Amino acid sequence: MSSTASQRALDYLEVLPGTTFTKLYQQPSTALAIFRRMLPHLAKTLVMAMLYMPTPLAVSGLDVWVKPDAESLQARDRALSILQSLRILFDAHDGAGRAAYKLSEAFARSLRLALTGGGDHRSFGVPCNTADKTPVTVEYLDTFARKQWEAILYFVVGSAHTGLGGSVTISPGTQALLQEGEFVALRGRQAHITQSGFTFLLQEINAQIWTLLIVYLEGSSGRDMVPVDVLSFLFTLGSLELGISYSTSNLTPTQLQLLDDLSDFGIIYRRSSDSTRYYPTRLATTLTSDAPALPNNSLTSSTTTDPSSTSSSESEKGYIILETNYRLYAYTSSPLLISILSLFTSLRSRYPNLVTAKLTKASIQAAIQLGITSDQIISYLTTHAHPLMRMHQQQNQANLNTPVLPPTVVDQIRLWQLEGERMVSHRGYLIRDVGTAEEYDRAVRYAEALGVLRKEFRSRGSFFVTRMDQMSAYFKGQAARKREAAQKREAELGGGSVGVKRES
Amino acid sequence: MNAVDATDRAGTQQEVEAPSLLTIILDTNPHAWALLADSLPLSKAVANLLVFINAHLAINYANRVAVVASHSERAEWLYPTPANARQEQAESNGDGEHGNRAGTGGAVQPPDDANKYRPFAQLEYAFMTNLQRLMRTTTPAAISSAPSTMLAGALTRALAYISKPSAATNPTTTANTHFNYSDPSSVAGGNSLNPSDDATTTSRSSQRLTTRILIVSVSGDLAETYIELMNAIFACQRLSIPIDVLKLAGDPTFLQQAADTTNGIYLSLSTPAARAGMLQYLMCAYLPDAAARERLVMPGEGEGVDFRAACFCHKRVVDIGFVCSICLSIFCEPLADGTCLLCGSHLSMANYGQKPAVVARLKKKGRKKRVVDGGGADTPGSGGGTPVPG
Repeated sequence: MSSTASQRALDYLEVLPGTTFTKLYQQPSTALAIFRRMLPHLAKTLVMAMLYMPTPLAVSGLDVWVKPDAESLQARDRALSILQSLRILFDAHDGAGRAAYKLSEAFARSLRLALTGGGDHRSFGVPCNTADKTPVTVEYLDTFARKQWEAILYFVVGSAHTGLGGSVTISPGTQALLQEGEFVALRGRQAHITQSGFTFLLQEINAQIWTLLIVYLEGSSGRDMVPVDVLSFLFTLGSLELGISYSTSNLTPTQLQLLDDLSDFGIIYRRSSDSTRYYPTRLATTLTSDAPALPNNSLTSSTTTDPSSTSSSESEKGYIILETNYRLYAYTSSPLLISILSLFTSLRSRYPNLVTAKLTKASIQAAIQLGITSDQIISYLTTHAHPLMRMHQQQNQANLNTPVLPPTVVDQIRLWQLEGERMVSHRGYLIRDVGTAEEYDRAVRYAEALGVLRKEFRSRGSFFVTRMDQMSAYFKGQAARKREAAQKREAELGGGSVGVKRES
Repeated sequence: MNAVDATDRAGTQQEVEAPSLLTIILDTNPHAWALLADSLPLSKAVANLLVFINAHLAINYANRVAVVASHSERAEWLYPTPANARQEQAESNGDGEHGNRAGTGGAVQPPDDANKYRPFAQLEYAFMTNLQRLMRTTTPAAISSAPSTMLAGALTRALAYISKPSAATNPTTTANTHFNYSDPSSVAGGNSLNPSDDATTTSRSSQRLTTRILIVSVSGDLAETYIELMNAIFACQRLSIPIDVLKLAGDPTFLQQAADTTNGIYLSLSTPAARAGMLQYLMCAYLPDAAARERLVMPGEGEGVDFRAACFCHKRVVDIGFVCSICLSIFCEPLADGTCLLCGSHLSMANYGQKPAVVARLKKKGRKKRVVDGGGADTPGSGGGTPVPG
């Protein structure tokens, strides 16, 4: 998975202490959700192959299994690194004492339980066994979720234009959360959008939810909540089924408290805050999937305009057509979308179901002034491109890399940004004195495979990485191996054989 | 500062794995399973298979699965529940509501269980119900009259099923469906198998659905349906659908060819010990989908494949046979009147049966026709000419 949504959750999970993972993996639903959502494809295959393996998988066995070309090796290294940082995979030794990998006991047990069923963990949600007197339809849940979520977005975007703000109300808790995540900053009584607020707005909806939830998680200990309970409940939510009511009977106090906040976000629906049943909305059931979070992502006008204008109900995920002459046509009548567009385009005219706009140097640079980056604009335009623009891409099946947006426009947006900035700064670590040239090469290759390498200065024998934890583990492993090899060599000196150093 | 160049644009593609549709053909031939009862009874094999299916569904949210039973006298869908069986069930339950719900792939409501992921529970319930019904409706007469299995029929049904969602991902046909992918009827929590939901999944990722077929086979002797089987295999080859074969018992000939032609995996678990580890074989060798297979070395590559064919006249598996030069049909013995049984062309066999000429001649290239009892020790009949239309 490479979508921003899971990346965000992954970043959060990676820094958790090991004990938290052990607690998390007690729940089969969590194990399943993490397996499905956070792992790269090859890692899933590895985990599944090892799940019912009685002995640890030898490192050499894995080397034989993975094809020896560069791309596969890179994929393998990435898979192993993520598995290790999520504490799913551990180094071990097999019966013959060779280096091997084994799965985390707790994770393997929970995943097996998830696949076979059984146990008494009740982590996949306890459905209400009595029918609701007034059943809630899926349509109602969708509308509810959309209304709640749009209100939040509208609050954020509204704070960019003083003229728009104030027309929607969101709960004080959510408002505080948005400030906590620094999406809006309060100046006086007026909320103002910040740079991370823009980043938030331009993400796809699933990533938005995770962003907000992670802010929530980070602050959860301050609200007398147990973060593990929150996290495992969120993963449970992802495995629930839409349109079915679940009972609150087996929830912890933390989770009960969480229900209130989640219903403010529109992630679950409860009729009242003391009701013993709750319905997950589509926002919840798609938390751990790739499916579009709201069937109708164009955020209909339900919050702000007359609900009877259902013209926008047929609009779908993609609504923007961008031409090579920088003209932009957006099939939408939602004030929210229009105000998002107005952040980086200059609007021309508006029709009942269509807005025309133009990308100009002035409009893009104004957006950059606000803290929006060109990449954000491009990814927003790409994710919301009209199906007609994608059709062009699909017709060239042979060349899947055909860009969705006109390349000239994409380049120009980047160039406009570059005009303003001549320097990019990255936080990170400089690694030098790596040892022999061969070891240096290997370390650089490893860093590249992990995707943390920024720049290497070959002449000076040093390179720059953005993340250190994986690299330091790598160097420790290297050092240990070297020592082992040296010892072996010493021990075997009499026999005349030379200890062979394993390639990593 | 070199961020703006043409190579950079291409990199913006999201590398989300394409969903994959796994169609499993389970050979339920009662004769063959009875023979395996000691080492691997059907119930155990099915339990293993269910874990495997769940693992497949767990890998990707949009992954889907279908199971066909290749029974002794007919091929039957086990999952998703076919429409007519759903009706029967709904009627027998006296509950019309189930008929509506059934559109989501699950046959009827499984018992609610908080300890099992709902899509898994639904699948398992539907699968087991259908398998039980299949076994219940099998009459002793049917078993005794048909000792083999309807593999060709099952394969054809699987292909027909696969072609539906595949056609939906075809760009020329999706143009119309593109505009309604906000279809709210699709169920988010379920691994829905209803083809009407395809528009949602496919248009979202704009990626092709990758498909593959897994045949769990226990019966030998498929020569009866040789032509049908080979046609289905070649269809798979054309559609580039790999056929994976897990052979638990029986003679491998044609299925090994099937896996070989379609780049699938063929493994034969011939010993009881190997059969006991069926689940591990499934998880290790058969679970990787097309994307993972690009990265992994798959088993069974480079093994010798039995390429023998079955003759069209008596369904015998032949090492050496006679080939009609017009329609390429294969016969195990020379035709009595020199007329091809299939295309009716008149074939003459000039020097058949004569001793080869002693003087070295230029060998004729092309399809060779050799003597049945010619054996390997004899010089191959270089003089025996290819039958020519007379």
